[in-house]
Amino acid sequence: MADLAVTGPLSFGWRVGMLNRRSVLPGFGLSFGYAVTYLSLIVLVPLAGLMIRSVGMGPAAFWAEIASTRVLAAFRVSFATALAAAAINTVFGLLVAWVLVRYRFPGKRVVDAMVDLPFALPTSVAGIALTTLYSTKGWIGALLVPLGIKVAFTPLGIVLALTFIGLPFVVRTVQPILQDLNIEQEEAAFSLGATRLQTFIRVIFPALLPALMTGFALAFARGLGEYGSVIFIAGNIPRVSEIVPLLIVMQLEQFNYAGATAIATTMLVFSFLLLLMINLLQGWMRRRHG
Amino acid sequence: MSIVASRIAKRFGSYQALDNISLTVHSGELLALLGPSGSGKTTLLRILAGLDFADTGSLEIDGRETLGLSPRERQVGFVFQHYSLFRHMTVFDNIAFGLQVRARRDRPSKAAIAERVHQLLDLVQMEWLADHYPAQLSGGQRQRVALARALAIEPKVLLLDEPFGALDAKVRKELRRWLRRLHDEMHITSVFVTHDQEEALEVADRIVVMSQGRIEQVGTPTEVYDTPATAFVFDFLGNANRLEVEVTDGRAHLSGLALDLPIRLAASGPAIAFVRPQDVDIGKTVEATMAPAVVRSIVTIGPTARFELDVGGHLIEAVVDRERSRGLDLAVGDHCGVRLGQVQVFSRSS
Amino acid sequence: MGEGLASPRPLGESRTTRLLLIGTALAFLGIFLFVPLVAVFVEALCRGVGVYWSAVTDPYAVSAIRLTLLVAGIAVPLNLSFGVAAAWAVTKFEFTGKSLLVTLIDLPFSVSPVISGMVYILLFGLQGWFGPWLLAHDIQLMFAVPGLVMATMFVTFPFVARELIPLMQEQGTDEEEAAVSLGAGGFQLFWRVTLPNIRWGLLYGVLLCNARAMGEFGAVSVVSGHIRGLTNTMPLHIEILYNEYNLVAAFAVASLLAVLALITLVAKSALEWRYGGELSRGGGS
Repeated sequence: MADLAVTGPLSFGWRVGMLNRRSVLPGFGLSFGYAVTYLSLIVLVPLAGLMIRSVGMGPAAFWAEIASTRVLAAFRVSFATALAAAAINTVFGLLVAWVLVRYRFPGKRVVDAMVDLPFALPTSVAGIALTTLYSTKGWIGALLVPLGIKVAFTPLGIVLALTFIGLPFVVRTVQPILQDLNIEQEEAAFSLGATRLQTFIRVIFPALLPALMTGFALAFARGLGEYGSVIFIAGNIPRVSEIVPLLIVMQLEQFNYAGATAIATTMLVFSFLLLLMINLLQGWMRRRHG
Repeated sequence: MSIVASRIAKRFGSYQALDNISLTVHSGELLALLGPSGSGKTTLLRILAGLDFADTGSLEIDGRETLGLSPRERQVGFVFQHYSLFRHMTVFDNIAFGLQVRARRDRPSKAAIAERVHQLLDLVQMEWLADHYPAQLSGGQRQRVALARALAIEPKVLLLDEPFGALDAKVRKELRRWLRRLHDEMHITSVFVTHDQEEALEVADRIVVMSQGRIEQVGTPTEVYDTPATAFVFDFLGNANRLEVEVTDGRAHLSGLALDLPIRLAASGPAIAFVRPQDVDIGKTVEATMAPAVVRSIVTIGPTARFELDVGGHLIEAVVDRERSRGLDLAVGDHCGVRLGQVQVFSRSS
Repeated sequence: MGEGLASPRPLGESRTTRLLLIGTALAFLGIFLFVPLVAVFVEALCRGVGVYWSAVTDPYAVSAIRLTLLVAGIAVPLNLSFGVAAAWAVTKFEFTGKSLLVTLIDLPFSVSPVISGMVYILLFGLQGWFGPWLLAHDIQLMFAVPGLVMATMFVTFPFVARELIPLMQEQGTDEEEAAVSLGAGGFQLFWRVTLPNIRWGLLYGVLLCNARAMGEFGAVSVVSGHIRGLTNTMPLHIEILYNEYNLVAAFAVASLLAVLALITLVAKSALEWRYGGELSRGGGS
């Protein structure tokens, strides 16, 4: 493959995997071939299988599986909780990133490392830990009982778990941008008479906005699909605290593959739309920050 | 070990990077490829090295057709603009690399490699830095390591891509004189790419001036400087006044002023005349064969003085040494005479 | 790290604002990250070390640990090989469809883990496309180790490639071209020039890939069948123990995974701290 030149009568349209420029470095055919084969076998073919199956169902059967009140309620719960958690993470993620980049305090390096805990800690471990903490007898849950707040086994519990899971996304997206932010801009605003708050709102925040939105979208996408940390704390009450991934698992356990396929495909479409949006956001971010 | 390239062409998409380049590099000479960025000089060098592929053409190194050979078969030493040293290897290992990666039967013994590396370190005067990593070296030192690394494989020819481009002005001057001396000792056929005309004029045996994928002129430094073949070469090699003139009956006219010039141009019509600032003679008064002018500005730069003169509405720059400037005793606004020497006239199309 | 900003200067927040912001951020991180982590160890050890020890040495726990190591031991090296190949192709060459390839590599991150497992059931399960054929040849992929490995590979697929691509992009092809001009062959080129430059980034990617592989729950849960002692990985074993109200045992096994997570974080921070310059910027998350 590496030996083909692009010029010549065959160079119409676009052909995937065609070298645009011959290179003296070896191994294009091997590495490209291996990567694409591996990607196809592990990811593309299985996903395509799901898509083909759902197309094979026909729109009527597909819709019948999706349109039940239980499924629709699960979508509502999944979206609402993921949105809420992503919003919480956007606010606190910005705060955490700001504090980590701009201030010095003892133990900063440890705190910085800890931010990645949700990436490293298995979701089931997080799930049982949060459930135990926030049940009415747990360390934190017991404190909330007198206030009339119940977290475990309610949608609030789902938001809690998703906040944990999504916490690093906003911090890690905003942090490098904040780090590279040109201090001179702030000094310029300051010398022009802006207050600190005005500087933040009119100079710093707009510069961080693409990163914040990207972080928000990443956290939201992750929350939408999350399963392990949620099922322990959610209580899984149909129409109240049942999330879409759980519904898929239940359909699979009952061997209702049609139902699982329809729900999963709908979910996948949302995920891909989000992925597209995230890609656009990241493109925007790159254009802003070079 | 001569290099003969003929009719080499290369396109990048719709961009013609090299347009039928034919060039001979004589055995043992130091040749400069000189041109602005985008002139194709680096592409040509990379094709000689086998790091890029020509679309058409042929290339012989030492009498052997080379275009089909891989870089490792060509035995060409290449020095990269940004050094491209292996950052995780010491200076010693960088230089030894080309010998260590040879097939077992061609590979010198460990002791022989070490000896060769030390010879080269000695040659580039860096013996004491053998254990250092590239990050610990200055730019000039890195470039010398890169040169030693390229020489280690005992190349038939040495190719250097903007070898001094990333260095500051002072180091640059030192290093290029050093390279010239090194070349005089070793006499290895060498080609280097530069966009700096001073560098090419000072270091090279011959200069190839390139522009837009074509060769404008090939010649010794004196030839290209004194008798530029095209307007481009004149303009590119050093500062020049560019004057739009009209040629009639073998004489160039600059709006009213008749210039008595040795013209190599047969055709009459609009043309461009070039004259270097140091070839512009200034007189306190308008002497014979001088045109009247008015001094617009005088700037003294070190040992020379630069005059900006208004000659019949055209601004002409003149450079004279400081002594002469003092003797002239002119001030801004004064009237004086001006004579243009060494004028070259090219037709408008070139 | 913005140290210069820590000292008082005209531009910046007042001390009170600063302390308030730091306090709020630390309180948030404390409640959401630190307390749950501590809870895992406290719950695991609340009945004493003896109970803890018997929980983690229980035969089912041991077989779950073994299975987890086996699955990660297969999935991680395979994904490593993919990551290196993909990064080499993407960063050292210009070819049509490159950005498409890069996007597709990230795809598994945006698929719910549950769906990542499910797609294999649809292919290889009893009612799947290849189900009847596999049954006829007496090959069981789902609810068995191969299924666990496939689901894990899907989920952890992007980690190594994602870390290597930006890193190798930054490094460019200069050193490789220099090696080629000095006569190095393909293998020498990779082994002696490229690999030493990317080794820490590679380790970083493997570390993250491994943490996820050992801790994956959703995808593995779907293809496991939950057969104790046979197809239960550690995260699945935790679920079973928890649902049986055997909290101490559940947290004991969980504590092992939490330790793995902590080791991963420490190693990751150490790499970032020591070799920050040799890791890609903004990678790893």
